[in-house]
Amino acid sequence: MARDLAIDLGTANTLVYMKGRGIVLNEPSVIALNRQTGEVLATGREAWQMIGRTPGYIVAVRPLRGGAITDFEITERMIRLLLQRVGVSRFTRPKVVICVPSAITEVERRAVTDAARRAGAADANLIEQPMAAAIGADLPIDEPVGNMVIDIGGGTSETAVISLGGIVALEAVRVGSFDIDAAIQNYVRREHGIAIGERTAEEIKVAIGSADPTPDENQAEVRGRDLMTGLPKTVLLTPEEVRYATEDVVSSIVASVIRCLSKAPPELSQDFLVRGMYLVGGGGLLRGLAERIERETEVPVKMSNVPLEAVVLGAGHVIEHYEALKGMFMGARR
Amino acid sequence: MIVWVIIGAVLLAVVVAVMVTAAGRNRRPPDDIASFRRQIDALSPEARRQTSDRMKPAEPAPSGDDGVDDS
Repeated sequence: MARDLAIDLGTANTLVYMKGRGIVLNEPSVIALNRQTGEVLATGREAWQMIGRTPGYIVAVRPLRGGAITDFEITERMIRLLLQRVGVSRFTRPKVVICVPSAITEVERRAVTDAARRAGAADANLIEQPMAAAIGADLPIDEPVGNMVIDIGGGTSETAVISLGGIVALEAVRVGSFDIDAAIQNYVRREHGIAIGERTAEEIKVAIGSADPTPDENQAEVRGRDLMTGLPKTVLLTPEEVRYATEDVVSSIVASVIRCLSKAPPELSQDFLVRGMYLVGGGGLLRGLAERIERETEVPVKMSNVPLEAVVLGAGHVIEHYEALKGMFMGARR
Repeated sequence: MIVWVIIGAVLLAVVVAVMVTAAGRNRRPPDDIASFRRQIDALSPEARRQTSDRMKPAEPAPSGDDGVDDS
């Protein structure tokens, strides 16, 4: 008998929750393929280590961008391999709940459910990421009070106001932590004349990236390829430079939070001042981001205890209570 | 005679159909309430505790150290 699954199919990482067991898989959403034969060479962590370091015949790709499937066939193969790794076979076809950005189009929704069904799921339903995040972050969404959750993922940032088990106001932008990495890459190329890879840009963000000045800031030594000479080169990067480079992305995220606040009904708005907003998702771990949002909105911002797992835990809870909570699926009657 | 029996049967069928439809309509609101109640109960902190207790994060996603020295 197949155990039903909840999948957080993120642009950056894929997490799988198995009914009755908890989180059984947490891997980067990356797949490595042989360009010539189309054969899958690695998935997850192993494929992630290959990004930017492969010979010509191998390509390591992220099949999701901005929370949407950019390559249907590769995504389907990735989901199939992930399901196999957690014990799904052609004889055990589980029900699957998949978390997706709330702003995805009808075509994108169909692409995700079709990919899951073709990969071995008996039934595939979708749930909005902010709703799953609010459940997973243990917000009291069963009560008639305003709960606000900000989910900053790899490719999307979503802010939602939730009350009595439903979304009251929502704001989503297709901007996330990968855009911060890309902004760092562009800045280093433009201002220092060196090319760095996607992984190095991510490491710069983790090491010295911030959305607001923070105490104990350090410089980072960055190694890349000089664009003029083609030789390896090292430069020093300051936190101020990284803040300058990523300002557009950060301010676009903050602006979407403000837009969501302005959409909330006044009765719920007053709750935020007391209860605060909850930050989840890997992008929410950017230093100074909570402080920056708090400063610009004048609403307290709290970090979830499980920022990286909140979404899959929320979807996992829906799988545990499938019959009672099936009304929360995207497209279901509310 | 037969004609009256057929008309009577048709009328009876119509009356039964109307009653069944009306009964269905009357039943729907309580079903909606029960379904909403079940959903809210399933979202309560008590119901969610079991899922939170299963919080066993797998190994965190990798973050190497190539290319950057935080100095």
